[in-house]
Amino acid sequence: MKRLLVVLGAVCFVVLLLGAMFDLAPASVQLHAAVAANLPASGVEHPVTAVLLNFRGYDTLLEIAVLLLAMIVILATGIDTAADVRPSVNPVLQALAKLAAPLMIMVAVYLLWAGAFRPGGAFQAGAVLAAAAVLLHLVELLPGWQSPSTRLRLGLAGGFLVFLAVGAGSLMRGALLEYPPEHAGRLILLVESGLTVSLGLILAGLFLLLSRDDGDGP
Amino acid sequence: MMVWLILLPLLWASFAFLLGPGRGVWLAMAGLLAQLWLAYALAEEIVASGVAEHAVGGWGAPLGIDLVADGLSAAMLLLTQCVALPLAVYASAYFKRDDPAATYFWPLVGFLLAGLNALFLSADLFNSYVTLELLGLAAVGLVAAGGGAQQIASALRYLFATLVGSGAYLLGVALIYGTYGTVSTVTLTPLIGAGAPDLVWIAGGLMVVGLMLKTALFPFHFWLPPAHGGAPAPVSALLSAVVVKASFYLILRLWIGPFSSLTVAANLVVWLPALLGMLAVFWGSYQAIRAERLKMLVAYSTVAQLGYLFLIFPLLVSAGALQAVIMQVFAHGLAKAAMFAAAGTLIKATGQDTVAGLAGVAERLPVTLFAFGLAGVTLMGLPPSSGFLAKWQLIELALSQQYWVIAFVVLVGGLLAAVYVFRVLRQAFLLAPAGSVVMPVPRTLEWTAFVLAAASVLLGLRGVELMQLVGIT
Repeated sequence: MKRLLVVLGAVCFVVLLLGAMFDLAPASVQLHAAVAANLPASGVEHPVTAVLLNFRGYDTLLEIAVLLLAMIVILATGIDTAADVRPSVNPVLQALAKLAAPLMIMVAVYLLWAGAFRPGGAFQAGAVLAAAAVLLHLVELLPGWQSPSTRLRLGLAGGFLVFLAVGAGSLMRGALLEYPPEHAGRLILLVESGLTVSLGLILAGLFLLLSRDDGDGP
Repeated sequence: MMVWLILLPLLWASFAFLLGPGRGVWLAMAGLLAQLWLAYALAEEIVASGVAEHAVGGWGAPLGIDLVADGLSAAMLLLTQCVALPLAVYASAYFKRDDPAATYFWPLVGFLLAGLNALFLSADLFNSYVTLELLGLAAVGLVAAGGGAQQIASALRYLFATLVGSGAYLLGVALIYGTYGTVSTVTLTPLIGAGAPDLVWIAGGLMVVGLMLKTALFPFHFWLPPAHGGAPAPVSALLSAVVVKASFYLILRLWIGPFSSLTVAANLVVWLPALLGMLAVFWGSYQAIRAERLKMLVAYSTVAQLGYLFLIFPLLVSAGALQAVIMQVFAHGLAKAAMFAAAGTLIKATGQDTVAGLAGVAERLPVTLFAFGLAGVTLMGLPPSSGFLAKWQLIELALSQQYWVIAFVVLVGGLLAAVYVFRVLRQAFLLAPAGSVVMPVPRTLEWTAFVLAAASVLLGLRGVELMQLVGIT
């Protein structure tokens, strides 16, 4: 009965929402035009990267902070280290994973570089890196993390700190994250490279920390 | 200057994380001191030369994101830094070495403050969402940190509430963007007229209800008492004093900003939050009067005090309403920080978290009990405290519009607050039962609570400057 009511409520809400969406006039502010007009000054050629790293780079800065924070929250809760016993892994799987990992790293580098002019960028590249780490963990080639060492912490926070440093540097000269047009491309690549490494580590860490086993952390 | 209020906590939080578990207290202290100075300087600048703006990336809205600091933002920033610094000093004495709750305490607090400061400065609906996420996640982390199963459970409930709240808010933002093609509040405000399409009403409703959930307005308060009552005392103090106010601030901003023509068009809508606020005052006070655990009493008192904030919505049309509600935000923020800090000290000293276990603490911990009492004076609204000033203004506004019911609720709420405050004080003055031990506590714990409580009372004497600041739009 309760479930039925919830479903009924949800259906009513969706119908209401759809009904309201149909009598909608075209938006009065056309941001596409503004993005297209300012694209040459943004330092990159792809509009999505331009919005994420330049026009609304401040949002991205805070989003990265959220991801780093998620990592810290997991560390702070101090989840019990449970020794998980896993069945021995097929050597064929291990061999395949060894083969796949370098390729995945290459794909990540390509995605990072491609972000300037086609869909791609730090988030996608970082996700691929993280996937490589998870794959290696699943075939027992990479141990789960206990508590991160100083070097690993530097890797986790490094990308965010580079971004923050670029922001603080630009603030000294003018506005926060205001890149001089002639250096914009290089600065964005610098920020994205740092982010790729850190995002890869953070996303992998969210998985590897929660599946901690007996092995020592890297 | 205002941008540094966001960058600075992000910087010291990251460096505290790099330093490792349990480290970073001096970084945090230096950062907080600088932030307090920045917030004060920003307030002075605004009083001298009006609203300050900053176009991030140099693009300007609607393409880029704008930061705007007016009197309201500056006041909230000032309150946040004023509460955070004494609580940081308190926390540094509160956590023992190797306390599991303190492993990553400083990074979490840094991100929390960055989220708060960024929220108060944001003039962009989507950017506000990002700051809400930063804030909510840091708060959940602080509640969960190093706690037992029960604490993790209340943190998860808090996480659930805060995620549903931000989800509803984000859906609203998406609908607004679909309708108008922008999320900048400055651009939106003139665009949203009284004849706005239905979708905007739905969006506004979703955003406000989502934020009410995050503010723990009755009946969405279910997550607050376990989360605030179960967390370590410095965390409870920080969450009750400023974090719940952040989502209230956003409701207020939307109400008087982008949605102002909607709220004027629909007269009855203003009574919905006010009605819930009234119920919150009664229900929260009732639960506080009944509570057996001291920190639960203080947490339920927060539910009640948040209710007052929502009484303002029918009164917002008259001048001085913003000043009244911000005075209440300050009064409760300072007093509740003091009260949780004092409660934490009492619990540390007696070794138990019950009101009944307080017997005899009056002679052993007079400073802490005095701090608790002073904070109570502010919550009751006795002169000359800032609580009195806030309630006085609320009642005056209510009477000038002949909303008797609001004045009545404010008065009765003050009496109910007196009941639960005196319940604690009376118990503390009883003779200690034979064999009870009161452990010595660091002086720092006692005096930081006292400073906060004294500030909440003394602000009543210097309220004019604050009201002048809030008036700058």
